[in-house]
Amino acid sequence: MLRGLLVLVVLWSCGGRVAGAYEPRINYMLQCMGCHTPDGSGEPGRVPSVKETLVPFAGSPDGRRFLVQVPGAAQSTLSDAELAELLNWMIQNLSLTRSAGVPPFTAKEVASYRRTPLVAVQATRATLIRQLSGVSSQKP
Amino acid sequence: MRWLDSLAESSTRAVARHTSRRGFLGSLGALLLGGAGVLPLLPVARGAQPPGPGAGASPGAAKPDNSQDPTSCEYWRHCAIDGYLCGCCGGSQNTCPPGTEQSAVTWVGTCHNPADGRDYVVSYNDCCGKSTCGRCLCNRNERDTPLYAPFESNDYNWCSGSSKANIPYHCSTARIVAVAK
Repeated sequence: MLRGLLVLVVLWSCGGRVAGAYEPRINYMLQCMGCHTPDGSGEPGRVPSVKETLVPFAGSPDGRRFLVQVPGAAQSTLSDAELAELLNWMIQNLSLTRSAGVPPFTAKEVASYRRTPLVAVQATRATLIRQLSGVSSQKP
Repeated sequence: MRWLDSLAESSTRAVARHTSRRGFLGSLGALLLGGAGVLPLLPVARGAQPPGPGAGASPGAAKPDNSQDPTSCEYWRHCAIDGYLCGCCGGSQNTCPPGTEQSAVTWVGTCHNPADGRDYVVSYNDCCGKSTCGRCLCNRNERDTPLYAPFESNDYNWCSGSSKANIPYHCSTARIVAVAK
């Protein structure tokens, strides 16, 4: 019984950030910034900007699923908890629009979307942009 | 004095019989050449020369530390580089050479600096617009993934397909972006 409690305490204490893992700002640099550039604006015609779309996408169920399933996020080496933390950091720090009212991502929510691969990435994104009001139409 | 004349004549003839006129030049040359190996002709700072292969204790033991030399592949910032060093091509580890342009899209990784014991986020921006530099090719690739894991693979040419389509790759920089923590 005591041993079981000890294991539980150890597992609990590991629930936070994994030892050696980076803070979300550094994870953005290592996982996203190479293509999306330091401020998230990407490169026109090659890499889409995240600045205009992050908050509108995070405000809709389909958009939240897309943000997690997009290959660069879903296939990254981050854990579900780290990916949730990174998405929340991006919404807070890179978005042009205010993020009030957008619920933060959790590791559980990320895990529920992440295992399903997204194949038609550009078409899904274009459909989302058309569906969501308040997002100016832009080239992918 | 006749005996002195005959002595001089006989000894001169003896020398002439046993030596040739070119023999002296040959002996002098041999003396100079042979002597150069024993006694140096010019003052040389032999202490400044690197030790020969047999001078050290064992080969590979006294490997020079190039971790702080920006023009070396072993420079600490080059831990994941795959390309020509801009420092050898007219630029530096932070700047592109004249006539080239830095690619916006890049590969980002972390490198450990042994001088202060910290990890840094390093961005390997390619410089594009001139033909391949060809000097100081380095290929260390720490934490690089194969192309089938594309998001952390550095085997791309970041110049081709950019907004300035298909301009040639010249060299790579290694810029510090942040302290990794």
